[in-house]
Amino acid sequence: MTLDTTSLLSLALLGGVLGLDTVSCLQAMVSRPLVAAPIAGYLLGDPMAGMSAGVLLELVSLNQLPIGANKTWDTAPASIAAAAVVAHSSGGAASLVISVGFGVLVGWIGSWTVHLMRHWTARLVAVDESQRPLAASSLSARHLTAMTVDFARAAGLTLTALLVAAPLYSGFESSDAAAGVAASLLVVICAGLALGSDVRMMAKGRTVVIAFTAGLLASAVLSLWLV
Amino acid sequence: MARLGRRLGLRLVFRSFLIQGSWNYRTMQGAGLGFSLIPYLSRLHRGKRDALNESLGRHSGFFNANPYLSTVAISAVARMENEGTDPEEIERFKRALVSPLGSLGDRLVWARWRPLCSLLGLLLFGLGAPWWVASGVFVVLYNAIPLWLRVWGLRLGWRRGRDVGRALMASPLRRLPDRLTIPLAIIGGALLPPVALALGGASSADPILVIGVALAFVVLGYWRPALMGRLAALGLLVGSLVFVVLENMVW
Repeated sequence: MTLDTTSLLSLALLGGVLGLDTVSCLQAMVSRPLVAAPIAGYLLGDPMAGMSAGVLLELVSLNQLPIGANKTWDTAPASIAAAAVVAHSSGGAASLVISVGFGVLVGWIGSWTVHLMRHWTARLVAVDESQRPLAASSLSARHLTAMTVDFARAAGLTLTALLVAAPLYSGFESSDAAAGVAASLLVVICAGLALGSDVRMMAKGRTVVIAFTAGLLASAVLSLWLV
Repeated sequence: MARLGRRLGLRLVFRSFLIQGSWNYRTMQGAGLGFSLIPYLSRLHRGKRDALNESLGRHSGFFNANPYLSTVAISAVARMENEGTDPEEIERFKRALVSPLGSLGDRLVWARWRPLCSLLGLLLFGLGAPWWVASGVFVVLYNAIPLWLRVWGLRLGWRRGRDVGRALMASPLRRLPDRLTIPLAIIGGALLPPVALALGGASSADPILVIGVALAFVVLGYWRPALMGRLAALGLLVGSLVFVVLENMVW
């Protein structure tokens, strides 16, 4: 199965727009997997599939803080690529692992494209130490050019990821029960590791452990009662 | 003191949304600061192109701050320019602001507010809310604080000018991250069972066992956060490769 041209272009456009949100413009966090993945899924007709990939991708990317010159995953193209893979799959934990694993790869490659772009942007906009006069029109043009390049970078990366992922669109067809259990176990393990890491990266100490345990117990009782 | 005016204030806030448009390793947000100041400096130096170009050149050097608090610097610099402050003093002031604006905003927004909103969105979805409710609550709730920070920062910077550093130190914002710690941990704990059950749904294992396994790995993640965070991502990456290979060669 392949994506039609309209879907490819609309998802690439979405990748460009949401990619801008990551750093260059707004930072309203619509580029986070929790938002970007279900939107991509919605465009492909299956927002719930997109959301399932988004949940896992959000958990594993949450501990990356965009502080200073930190290289963080480019979550918008990653989420869209993951959503596209999982939306075309037959469902199940193995498809989820494949889609999110691919999303992680795209996000990591995206962080390197951002890194290269920032070096290029430095040459585009940097005023030397003598702080020479700079016309408003020239400054605006350089600034907006940098944003346009960021848009093109994110859109191009999304498009490339969607094209490269084409062989994965057939999904994971196996009905092997052992494969399903192994994939579910892997997902639960990775989600657990990511959540523990996320909480510790944000806060630590005895009070945090007590509060975490209280939330866990209340929710476990409620969840098991509902199950 | 001259008034900033609502319209000009809105233009400065609007431009602050784009302050990181040309973020780079050399001047970081420098060009963005200059870009954000264009409406104000154009008015201040109306009809004096050389003065405008000279001040824009000065403000496009190195600068960095948390983007949501950048309006503090934008309006404080605007006021100092308005008062005719010595350019070297403005430059020293900008460099002195980098650290407090960065640490305050990063601790509040990146280390507390964003994860809290994100975990809340995930929890809502785990408890059965439709995807658009979970995503919508995350986006709306998250953006309330950054939007307020931008407007608050603009007013504070304009009102306090060069004394804005002292005002930031006395601000209640400094204590807010600590107050968000407990809710963050409670939501994180509450998230574990529904997410573990939803993600581990394909297996027919006992729900208590699924939650228990997830909890064991949460403890591991909490113990070595940086390493285990990377391992989680690597596990999914390697796992996806293994499944793709098995799908094509074995099953």
